[in-house]
Amino acid sequence: MRSTIFAFALGLLASTAAQADVTVYSAGPGSLINDLAKGFTAKTGIKANVFQATTGKVMARLEAESSNPVADVVISASWGTATSFAAKGLLLPYTSPNAETVPDFLKTDTAVAQGVAGICIAYNTKSGLPVPKDWADLAKPEYKDMVTLPDAAASGGTYSLVEAFAANDMNGVLQSIKDNGAIVAGANAAALNPVLQGSKAAVFAAVDYITLGAKAKGESVDIVFPESGTVVAPRPMMILKSSKNQDDAKAFIDYVLSEEGQKAVAKVYLMPSRTDIKVDRPLIGDLKLLSSEGAPARDAVLDGFKAIFN
Amino acid sequence: MAKAAATGAEGSALLRWIATFGLLLVVAVPCLFIIIQAIFPDIGSGSLAAPFSLFFKTLADPALFGLARNTLILGIGTVVCAAIFAVPLAALRALFRVPGAIYWDALLLIPFMIPPYIAALGWIMTLQPRGYMEQLTGLNLAGLLFSVPGIMLIMGLNTFSVVYFVLSRTFETIGARYSDVGRVFGAGQWRSFWRITFPLAMPGLAASLLLVFAMSIEEYGTPAALGRRIGFEVLVTGIENRISEWPIDLPGSATLSLVLVSMALVAFMVQRWLLTRRDYRIVSGKPQASDKRPLGIWSVPVCLAFGFIAFLATGLPILAILATALTRTISGGLALDNMGLHNFEALLGRGSDGLIALGNSLALGSSTALLAGLFGAITAYSVVKGRGRFRLFLDALSITPNALPGVVVAVGIILAWNQPWLPVTPYNTPFILLLAYVCILLPQPVRYATASLHQLGDNLESAARVCGSGPLKAFVRIILPLILPSMVTSMILVFAVASRELVASLLVAPIGFQTIAVYIWTQFDQGSAGLGMAMAFCAIMITTLIPLGLIGLLKWVTKGRVAGLN
Repeated sequence: MRSTIFAFALGLLASTAAQADVTVYSAGPGSLINDLAKGFTAKTGIKANVFQATTGKVMARLEAESSNPVADVVISASWGTATSFAAKGLLLPYTSPNAETVPDFLKTDTAVAQGVAGICIAYNTKSGLPVPKDWADLAKPEYKDMVTLPDAAASGGTYSLVEAFAANDMNGVLQSIKDNGAIVAGANAAALNPVLQGSKAAVFAAVDYITLGAKAKGESVDIVFPESGTVVAPRPMMILKSSKNQDDAKAFIDYVLSEEGQKAVAKVYLMPSRTDIKVDRPLIGDLKLLSSEGAPARDAVLDGFKAIFN
Repeated sequence: MAKAAATGAEGSALLRWIATFGLLLVVAVPCLFIIIQAIFPDIGSGSLAAPFSLFFKTLADPALFGLARNTLILGIGTVVCAAIFAVPLAALRALFRVPGAIYWDALLLIPFMIPPYIAALGWIMTLQPRGYMEQLTGLNLAGLLFSVPGIMLIMGLNTFSVVYFVLSRTFETIGARYSDVGRVFGAGQWRSFWRITFPLAMPGLAASLLLVFAMSIEEYGTPAALGRRIGFEVLVTGIENRISEWPIDLPGSATLSLVLVSMALVAFMVQRWLLTRRDYRIVSGKPQASDKRPLGIWSVPVCLAFGFIAFLATGLPILAILATALTRTISGGLALDNMGLHNFEALLGRGSDGLIALGNSLALGSSTALLAGLFGAITAYSVVKGRGRFRLFLDALSITPNALPGVVVAVGIILAWNQPWLPVTPYNTPFILLLAYVCILLPQPVRYATASLHQLGDNLESAARVCGSGPLKAFVRIILPLILPSMVTSMILVFAVASRELVASLLVAPIGFQTIAVYIWTQFDQGSAGLGMAMAFCAIMITTLIPLGLIGLLKWVTKGRVAGLN
């Protein structure tokens, strides 16, 4: 019993101490948000506390905490979260002075992209199979039973691509790779792992920065942006209206959009949001993008995906 | 029996209050909030609007039937596999002098220490086409691996040690004494085992199989890693998906959890019914000689059987983990120029996050083990030896978390402990993890202690009371030492699981606080599988060696006076 009281006392101390800093809830990658938090503290002297998980887990924690919110800044890997939070009136409007060179489709009144991920084909360079150039190449006989793809329900990137396929009448591609033996393998990492080991040869709808990170570590993988077009997944940053440290939260957004912050974003192979940051990888301007205009609602998109793959 | 129960009831008033209050705080509060969440979808923002609006919608979902059926199939299949692996080994270990018995025990303890999601990953990387097995032997077993029986086999291998340890202790306590009586009266060796020894071991068997059933319907990692690829979804993956995939459906996951809990409670009622039909008390205070038989020419085949199972359950996953930790890149495979210690160097470098995470998890794991062990013993004592309406309630409450997926417990805990009107709260401190772990793991010590208390006659405690000791003293001096061997086993299990718990930790961990599992998960998430596996390997080694060292020390200090520590 005494230890419980002691525990509560300590708990009280710890929770009051946390009030003075910026608390950031962020989707992965962990090394990026840790670098940003360190850089921010070095620059401003304000401490940044980080909770890092998947977009889903971050959202679940926010929802469970909603009677007594803890986070000041939220960074997710799915733009839909920002739209939905804004519609619920949870966000603080803020336009960072550093967001001037961020293209309009990557910012709203209440959210701005931290960086952008591209959706691509990831392939094992040692598989001995012809390098795919377009989505449909993975439906060819040489790729029979050699393709994985992340579940559209678990991966925001796959979802965006499937949504764009639905809008552009391209669902036939999904059906043809399914008929060619492609398997749905959970989230992004679960889809990439068999390709690294060589058990499968390519990931349909891989996330580019994860694959480029693996390539940089020496894995024999590479990426292709398909000719017929793809989608990008901007990663929204938003400030919660309930934040008690709104000025510090704004300073954090400013820092991520600063040249230093955007370079940290580029270091993990994401595309920076600012167009004036030069990096050595294909940028949004280099990609052919599919529009998602006229796509059905989320449930309908997911049901269509399930109907093909289950 | 009624008279005997009364002795305990008198003595346990204080203990019963501790058990009741503690269970309410640790288990009932989060469970209550899960039920509230299932009924009131907007409770997270403090609103009671639209009660039941999503409750019936979730229950009416036609997919629910398939999920529930798959869960049952998986649970029963895993129990069968675990029993097939465990029962023969446990009987051999307890009734015969198996060469190197203590080393087999140590080896079979390791599956507890391997996080199931890591084991599943190890199996995938070994058995899939171009996996480690194909790289070494040219064969792959992908067909078996990605199938429902494959999932059952792997989950059986992950969990059978629970049955093995409980059952071998139970058989040992029964000893050969009772079956010898049968043999004197003309029964053959097999007949006396099946008709006498085996039935007497029912409490241990039922309790441990129930644990396996509850563990397997609650287990997320293996079905998620293997089942998703073949479209085999169970309740817990359905629940987890509702929490981890945007848009979040907390009410739906809470409702599905209630379905899962009711399944576990039904299993629990069946087990209780089995146990209360007969009297299983065999520890009467009379000294018994431990009289294990020699195996003779059977030594070699028995050792081979132990070796085969130990290799499948322990050796193969560990080797797969080690192989991944030692290779520079996954695509490089098991080539010599691709091997090295760099992952371990990165992990154990000075001031690395990995070391901090290890320290955090070990501290949390040992606190959880002590707290849950003591609290579990008290609860089991109040349930078995106590009296009154509360007994069933306490017992049911103590098994509930076993069927609650960790992620749901985490949501319940956040809902309960992050209320704005609470003057102080452990939320956002490491103590919230302690609370979560004790809640999730309490069923283990309770089950173990219940099983051994069922075998404990009341006359020992009565003798202590007659000789003038108070009720508390009788508990501490008589009951506790007698159930200590079981408690130590269960506390090791709690320690191992708590120091690697993933799903709840990921959601409820205080901001900026890393545990072993969160660290491993982060590494996988960033594509550093090798570093994650290096951490997994170190964690398995540490969580195995610490308890073994402790037991050795305890044996040395007590000079063998406490029975059953071997």
